[in-house]
Amino acid sequence: MDNTIIINGKNHNIDVDGDMPLLWFLRDRLAFTGTKFGCGSGLCGACTVHVNGQAVRSCVTPMNSVVSKKITTIEGLSENGDHPLQQAWLNNNVPQCGYCQAGQIMNAASLLATNPSPTDQDIDTAMQGNICRCGTYQRIKKAISEAADTLAKEV
Amino acid sequence: MSTIAMSRRNFLKGAGIATGGLVFSVALPANALVEKGIMKSSENELNAFIHLAENGDTTIYCGRCEMGQGISTALPSAVADEMEADWQRVVVKQGDADKKYGPQSTGGSASIRIMYQPMREAGAKVKAMLITAAAKVWNTSEGNCYAKSHFVFNKSNQQKLSYGELASLAKNSPIPTKVTLKKKSDFTYIGTKLARHDQDEVVVGKRIYGVDTKVPGLQYAAIVHCPVLGGKLKSLDKSDAMKVKGVSDIVEIPRFDVPFGSIGGVAVVADNSWTAQQAVKKLVIEWDLGKNAVYNTTEYKKQLVTNVEKQATLASERGDITHAFSTAEHSVKATYTGGHLSHSPMEPNASVVWVQKDSCEVWASTQSPVDIQKVLGQYLKREPSDIIVHVAMAGGAFGRKFKCDYVHEAAVISEKTGTPIQLIWSREEDMRTGYYHSINAQHIEASMDKQGNVTGWLHRAAFPSIATLFDPSLVRSPAQSLDDISNHLFGIDNMRVESGDAIAHTRIGWYRAVYAIFYGFAFATFADELANKAGKDHLTFVNQLFDNNKNTNQAEDIKRAKAVLALVADKSAWHNRKSLPKNQGVGLAVHYSFQSFVAMAVHVEVDGDDIKVLNVDAAIDCGQVLNIDGATAQMEGAVVMGMSLSLSTEITFKDGAVVNSSFHDYPVMRIGDMPNVRVHIVDSDKSPTGLGEPGVAPFAPALSNAVFAASGKRYRDLPFKPLYT
Repeated sequence: MDNTIIINGKNHNIDVDGDMPLLWFLRDRLAFTGTKFGCGSGLCGACTVHVNGQAVRSCVTPMNSVVSKKITTIEGLSENGDHPLQQAWLNNNVPQCGYCQAGQIMNAASLLATNPSPTDQDIDTAMQGNICRCGTYQRIKKAISEAADTLAKEV
Repeated sequence: MSTIAMSRRNFLKGAGIATGGLVFSVALPANALVEKGIMKSSENELNAFIHLAENGDTTIYCGRCEMGQGISTALPSAVADEMEADWQRVVVKQGDADKKYGPQSTGGSASIRIMYQPMREAGAKVKAMLITAAAKVWNTSEGNCYAKSHFVFNKSNQQKLSYGELASLAKNSPIPTKVTLKKKSDFTYIGTKLARHDQDEVVVGKRIYGVDTKVPGLQYAAIVHCPVLGGKLKSLDKSDAMKVKGVSDIVEIPRFDVPFGSIGGVAVVADNSWTAQQAVKKLVIEWDLGKNAVYNTTEYKKQLVTNVEKQATLASERGDITHAFSTAEHSVKATYTGGHLSHSPMEPNASVVWVQKDSCEVWASTQSPVDIQKVLGQYLKREPSDIIVHVAMAGGAFGRKFKCDYVHEAAVISEKTGTPIQLIWSREEDMRTGYYHSINAQHIEASMDKQGNVTGWLHRAAFPSIATLFDPSLVRSPAQSLDDISNHLFGIDNMRVESGDAIAHTRIGWYRAVYAIFYGFAFATFADELANKAGKDHLTFVNQLFDNNKNTNQAEDIKRAKAVLALVADKSAWHNRKSLPKNQGVGLAVHYSFQSFVAMAVHVEVDGDDIKVLNVDAAIDCGQVLNIDGATAQMEGAVVMGMSLSLSTEITFKDGAVVNSSFHDYPVMRIGDMPNVRVHIVDSDKSPTGLGEPGVAPFAPALSNAVFAASGKRYRDLPFKPLYT
């Protein structure tokens, strides 16, 4: 039986309890600390990663549900940290404390993958599950729109 | 110094840890540049804040704690400016707990106010030392040299020497006792728009926060606290928890009854955080809840209202309010309340502590490393200066991480296990074991003459004070906690301020903007109510109130307060408010706090009980702005925090314990409610003051005033609409 997981393109053996959430496998087992713990209940979005390209809350995603699946974390979103969203985040100086931003970016990347030109309303709806306590929402919205424009030009 | 750093690095490498994605920038503050290959040559420590390598790479240390407010960009950029350093060649590092950085406890929006001058001087001194070194090389006078963008130039022949070339020579230059600082017109970075120095790390997930600390041999802990302040453990059955695979220890943590010590709890130690969290849920605990189990906030708030609607204890008085009220044309009274708030930063309380026989080392998200040294010193009976504290980037703090109970707990556990312990609080524990913004009630009565001049002002406030952390026997807030009432910039000749009884049943702590939240709310909302009674608009009425202040010591402050208020009126829809749709309105408020002036104009649309904030204009006068982008971000964030506390967040207690547990029942604001925020900054040469907090205060009253303008409904309680109580 396959008991591996592919994280940012690399295979890893799952050598933990199958109930352990992916978040803690990433953080405590592999020391991929870019994915953050915020609430442990899927309420804040800080732990967002991609499973087979889809944004999920890794704090409520048990390891036994992601066997042989492809996981992308913030560390693996782009090879050189130059995903259009990452660039737009920098252009707009989005982060304050920055703690939620990995989750915000991963969630936004999932949005743009399915909806390359989101309206403001689409952005609000898609990003409603990601809390930023510092209050960077205005810049997040602007950065997502900007990244969508960049992607449109690339096509 | 670099030798020691190297050996530490080699030790970690030898331990097989510095591989496989583990990151050590927290653990290796002095050495990270070398490790990254950025700083190839040895560093020269020119002073506490500035290290210069022989290749010119410059490290600027920030002693103030970073929690997202941008201080580690703002202050180092001022150092670089005075030093004539090229910001692109600068790496900013967070200083460990060390007296050489000056005061490090980061709160009260004080960092820029107290460190701007000394850190600029540190930069200017290094520039002078570099010039002295160059002058020596060229055998010319210092006056014949100048520095610009990481070079010293010879005026006679335009020869130049790089800062790197001069680094080791400059180390031997005499340290100047007096330096001349740059004029505003010569600033390179101060007052510009600078990106956060570390945001490139943030967007790729490489920024290391306190919660991300990894050290060799780390064990992980989770904790459950006594739900009521002052309670203690009655019985503990740990057998089920001990059976969980991976659990190695269970540690009882008695309440440590010093300020910022643990409230008391039980911790589980395991080989990962999740296992520890799961095992905590299997502990069977009975608490002796103690005397605070009587605390119910619904009843308590009613009691506070009662206490301010009757005579209370005199705090201060001027003039004769009795005469003012007896001769009044109009009199108005109103009562305002506010609930407890939890800081709830996105990063819950977290630290790593390793207590050994001869050492104690801490890695923590903290606002006050000195308090960690103090509390751990008290607990371990060691000298505070023997506690090594590495200050980590905090994933938000808002006042919570000034208090180091969570670090103390990690120390108790580590002392028992002998291993380094990472204790991360669950979200639920973070929300339920806080140092809460004070629940509060205020009652104001004012008298006015025919022209709408305020002639008398009676102001009673009742709230359990932060001072109860240090003196739990206090039955009401001490008079000095009400000074912001008597010192308010409104011109009120006859004023009486009284403190209503308010015993603390939980831990009260500084929360972003602190008492300015409720003072700002009461003053600027009540001013609107008075304006309405006097038949004047808010702007005209408040300007009149300011103009009636004849205290010459406050004249300059009043000018600045009026200017920011006028600015938001001009920039917003205020002057066109009469042509807005019927269910829209604009509300104004100005509040002076932490020595900065902030006004807001809030434009809302109201549909029944539904309040939609459309636009917010914020104007600030904080003297010389260091980083325009950082200042703007602080205002945007203040609006968001203001919206949460105005519309949705309140911590409630039942039988002494917090009812809320996470973001479903403490619904902080989300992106869908974000209004369009425009920030307007007054250009000023005055000494700079901070902006972390002052933006929060004017939002709630401006919102209350806007909703009143749009609907005629007046909200006097924070939050306006508690969703879960």
